[in-house]
Amino acid sequence: MLIVKELHAGYGLSEVLVGTSLAVKRGTVVALIGANGAGKTTTMRAISGLITPTRGEVVLDGQAVTGLEAAAVARLGLAHSPEGRKVFAPLSAEDNLLLGAFPWLPRFFGFRKKAAGDLARVYDLFPRLAERRHQLAGTLSGGEQQMLAIGRALMARPKVMLLDEPSMGLAPVIVQEVFRTIRRLKAEGMTMLLVEQFARAALEVADHAYVMERGRIVVEGTPAELSRDERVLAAYLG
Amino acid sequence: MLKRLLLVRGTEFLLFALLAAIPLAVQSPYALGLLTLLAIYGILLIGLDVTVGYLGQVNLAQAAFLGIGAYTAGILTTRWGVGLPMAVLAAGAVCTVLGALLALPSLRLEGPQFALATLSFLALTTTVLTEVEWLTAGSQGLSVDRPPLFGVALTPRLFFWLCLLVLAVVWMAMRNLLSGQWGRAFEALRDSPIATDAMGVGTYRHKVAAFAFGSGLGGVAGALYAYNFQYLQPQSYVYELTVVLLLGVVLGGRKSLWGAFVGATLVALLPNLLSNLLLFRAFAAVGFAMALFAGVRGLRRRAAGRFQALAPVVATGALVLGSFLEKNTEDWRKAIFALMLFSVVVGLPEGLMGFAAGALARLFRVAPPPLPPAAALDAVLPPRATRGEPLLEVRALHRHFGGVRAVDGVDLTVTAGTIHGLIGPNGSGKSTLVNVVSGLYTPTSGELLLRGAPLPRGSLFKAARAGVARTFQNLQLFTGMTTLENVMVALRGAYRLPLPLVLAGLGRGEERRAQAEALALLELVGLDGEARTPVKDLTYGAQRFLEMARALARKPELLILDEPAAGLAHPDVVRQVEVIRSIHARGVTIVLIEHHMDVVTSLCDVVTVLDGGRVIAEGKPGDVKRHPKVIAAYLGTTADEAGPAEGAPAAG
Amino acid sequence: MPFSIVAQIAVSGALMGLVYALVAYGFQLTFATSKSINFGQGELVMVSAFASLTLINLGTRLFPGVSLGLLYLAVVPLGLLFGALLGLVVERTAVRLALEQKSEGWILLSIIVGLFLFSAAENVWGRDDRPFPTPIPDASFHLLGVDVTWREVSVLVGVLAIMGIIETFKRTTLLGKAFEAVSADRDAGELMGISATRTVMLSYGLSGMVAALAGILVSPITTVGPTMASAMILKAFSVAVVAGLESGFGVVLVGVGLGALEGLASLYIGSGWREAPGLVLLILALAVRPTGLFGKAVIRKV
Repeated sequence: MLIVKELHAGYGLSEVLVGTSLAVKRGTVVALIGANGAGKTTTMRAISGLITPTRGEVVLDGQAVTGLEAAAVARLGLAHSPEGRKVFAPLSAEDNLLLGAFPWLPRFFGFRKKAAGDLARVYDLFPRLAERRHQLAGTLSGGEQQMLAIGRALMARPKVMLLDEPSMGLAPVIVQEVFRTIRRLKAEGMTMLLVEQFARAALEVADHAYVMERGRIVVEGTPAELSRDERVLAAYLG
Repeated sequence: MLKRLLLVRGTEFLLFALLAAIPLAVQSPYALGLLTLLAIYGILLIGLDVTVGYLGQVNLAQAAFLGIGAYTAGILTTRWGVGLPMAVLAAGAVCTVLGALLALPSLRLEGPQFALATLSFLALTTTVLTEVEWLTAGSQGLSVDRPPLFGVALTPRLFFWLCLLVLAVVWMAMRNLLSGQWGRAFEALRDSPIATDAMGVGTYRHKVAAFAFGSGLGGVAGALYAYNFQYLQPQSYVYELTVVLLLGVVLGGRKSLWGAFVGATLVALLPNLLSNLLLFRAFAAVGFAMALFAGVRGLRRRAAGRFQALAPVVATGALVLGSFLEKNTEDWRKAIFALMLFSVVVGLPEGLMGFAAGALARLFRVAPPPLPPAAALDAVLPPRATRGEPLLEVRALHRHFGGVRAVDGVDLTVTAGTIHGLIGPNGSGKSTLVNVVSGLYTPTSGELLLRGAPLPRGSLFKAARAGVARTFQNLQLFTGMTTLENVMVALRGAYRLPLPLVLAGLGRGEERRAQAEALALLELVGLDGEARTPVKDLTYGAQRFLEMARALARKPELLILDEPAAGLAHPDVVRQVEVIRSIHARGVTIVLIEHHMDVVTSLCDVVTVLDGGRVIAEGKPGDVKRHPKVIAAYLGTTADEAGPAEGAPAAG
Repeated sequence: MPFSIVAQIAVSGALMGLVYALVAYGFQLTFATSKSINFGQGELVMVSAFASLTLINLGTRLFPGVSLGLLYLAVVPLGLLFGALLGLVVERTAVRLALEQKSEGWILLSIIVGLFLFSAAENVWGRDDRPFPTPIPDASFHLLGVDVTWREVSVLVGVLAIMGIIETFKRTTLLGKAFEAVSADRDAGELMGISATRTVMLSYGLSGMVAALAGILVSPITTVGPTMASAMILKAFSVAVVAGLESGFGVVLVGVGLGALEGLASLYIGSGWREAPGLVLLILALAVRPTGLFGKAVIRKV
């Protein structure tokens, strides 16, 4: 569903990715783990078009999307829930969700009616958001903002979802809830690429995992294989 | 060395000698008038270049300072009979003060506000000059006599030489200023205002001083302008003149004395250019050819986008077409300025001299003067004795962003002479905490003490002055400078010479001492071999080490290292651990944010663990690693084993 | 000075102040999406007014039987469309490149584009001021001791109507919400499939439209000429800075206040000082509250 080949990308003069390759099969959850600064977030940003890769290729559902602007990639069915959540603070929670569905909703009127079904599904997944639907996103707690960011990505009816550090800065209870949601989405057949600092938690939900170091993939395999790998064990699983 | 002196100084000397000699050969009063105007505009544009070039801000007030300077000198001479030297100085002084008063509020923000404030100032100046009739004679205009200088009546030729002399003095003073710490500070604050403040240089005060200085030059130019034309009208100092002056600076080339000179030539010649149709056609054709050449080259080298390459061709093409279709160029004056400016800003952003300088630098390779030997490290960074007293105390610190409590009640004591680790998951508030301590953010509430005295809050600059130095997780180097210059910018206590002496060119000894000190610090981090390398050519790892050397140039009591090993290759991490140890050995207290647990374990005396904006554990690295909450929140187990933590922030 | 005269001048000034507010609102629209404003906005006001005038003259010649009122109603939307197109031209020529380079080149470039439009207008339409035909009568009526002309009322209605329409658009349509989303977080907007470039274009189009309306509304009162907007634009800048570049309500309040203030300044100090309050207020606002009375503080990031 999502194939990344030999991707090179960076900011300004420093090249952060030096030939990253990975693949996400339909209906699977793939985890991308690694130390801070290894290039996980940069990989996500290069896939979704927020930064333009200098070399390499990104293929989404059989279509090359390399070098397209992020908005175009999003319209082709990629939903990226970014690091740090990035909810639209001055808009209400519900408006945030509606904007998640921007690619397929009518631009002017009648969008609420059309989005009602998807909204209900997100509210069913996160009852907390239903309670706070009229509250400004900026005033939500960190956990609620994370739920909103995931919900917003779901609203796009994506083919592939990228989740960047969904547990960042959250209390363990909230983290558990986030992972429960990820498991539920997986059960519903969602294709996901997950970047996570809690390597263990990530490996538990993933079907396949990649370990990144200094801009490239160094180890890959099933979670079981990785848990037996000495180096991975020492560096990331403590 | 000699070659350099000959080339650089020699060309300058030649220029001025040539200009001074012209009136001896050419007798035409018309040519003399043009030359005088050229010298005056030269001073004015050098002043404008300070803000437009060195500060990188659009300044629309320079025409106003020309006017204020002209009226100040004119009124002083006609009403009170003040002599020429005093009147010129007074004009400069009045404009410097007004410039500072305008800059104080308007340079606090980046963005369009500064341009708007200068535009308002220009309009206000025109209003005042027109309306305060008892002083300025309003729109009737003010006649000014050219007073004698030291008893000698100033003939046009003598007056030209006087103006040229002033230009030469300004030119030299500017060069002396820019080749030292001031020049580096200007460069630095454009590259990274945050790092400039964090290195104790004071972005804001440098900006204000620079703007005031440039305005003062505008005043001096204005005074000479008054004595040149001997008749002043408020309508002369309006928006259109300001745009023409900007055209001069941008076309000549920003950040360049030669550029200002070329621009001044253009501004002085512009009226003649437009009145002579043949000349104008030739000029337009040359511009078109240049735009075509630059556009095609830019496209082929993929250096320029389509718009950037084609728009100037279209604009200059319109100029050529217009010059043949329309006889009356004077009516279209503003449109012609606009098309010229547009082509230059889009197609040749570095201006004519910037373009030429690049070509010249390829032609003549001039070796820079050799560097002095490095100073002794003990002299630069004297070992500091510490007695285990608390150095930094953080009490009940909060910093909230909207609904997010990034730092939510942190108490922390850093003991002098220790390496204090700060760890926690992403988003746990470590970075926000050090950003508050180093003054980037104002705390929402709480107390900060350094050696028992309150640490300045919410000002990077003041915190840096108080003895806190830091590095940045996302590198904030001054990318337009060399490795050595980056360290020199931050060097504490190296520049003591008063400004007038620097302007007079007496700062060279100080410069060499600063170079020696900076080299010593580069040696400490192993970059002494790269002193002359432009920062943008350094490897990523070297840039991380440079950040440390630059922070050390502050000779700090407390050094905050914000993820110094992030993204480093393993050998670099090992080397960095050694460097941090040797810095620590000199008695510098270090706060270290780090994700590599092995680095933290091998270096730190104490580790504080943050999660959700709160401290969840503190102690020796080995103990902290075994702490159950730390394992749950950071080192990682499955979330299900963790159970609810007490430190979880309340939802909502 | 009798109170009634003071009140009269304050009210007339305040109504003119609404025009400043409208132009300042145009700055807010583009600032929200791109953190840039068009320094040549005054030229958009003026050129759109000229274009509308030409259309009306053309209309009276082509369709002599049609009443001025009908013609006016037909020309206003065309004038607004023309303004929107000019706004798009400014975005393409002056703004987009600078935004891509993340530089402030748009300040200089938009000044340049404005200068070009000014010169073109001088040569195409001439340097003289011309009256702008309008079906709205010049008569006035008495309200609470103050004389108000119907043209002033048209300014009030026009300004509030267009601001109301645009604000409603922003709040109720998905595209409007997308507009606000991009101003809040450009990257996140892109990730939702909202093209930032197109949103910036939309904002410049709207801003040009608003400028055109300002020109059409004010022309019958002031006449049309190349310099008709040079003073107005400075005051619109003042209003935008004093109110802050975020709040639509703020610009109306500050615009009305400034209009009244400058009426009083010309009454008490002298007509030449008419422009002074706005300029002084702008510099004072920067000194006291640089983000404006209704603006939000910015958070610096490293």
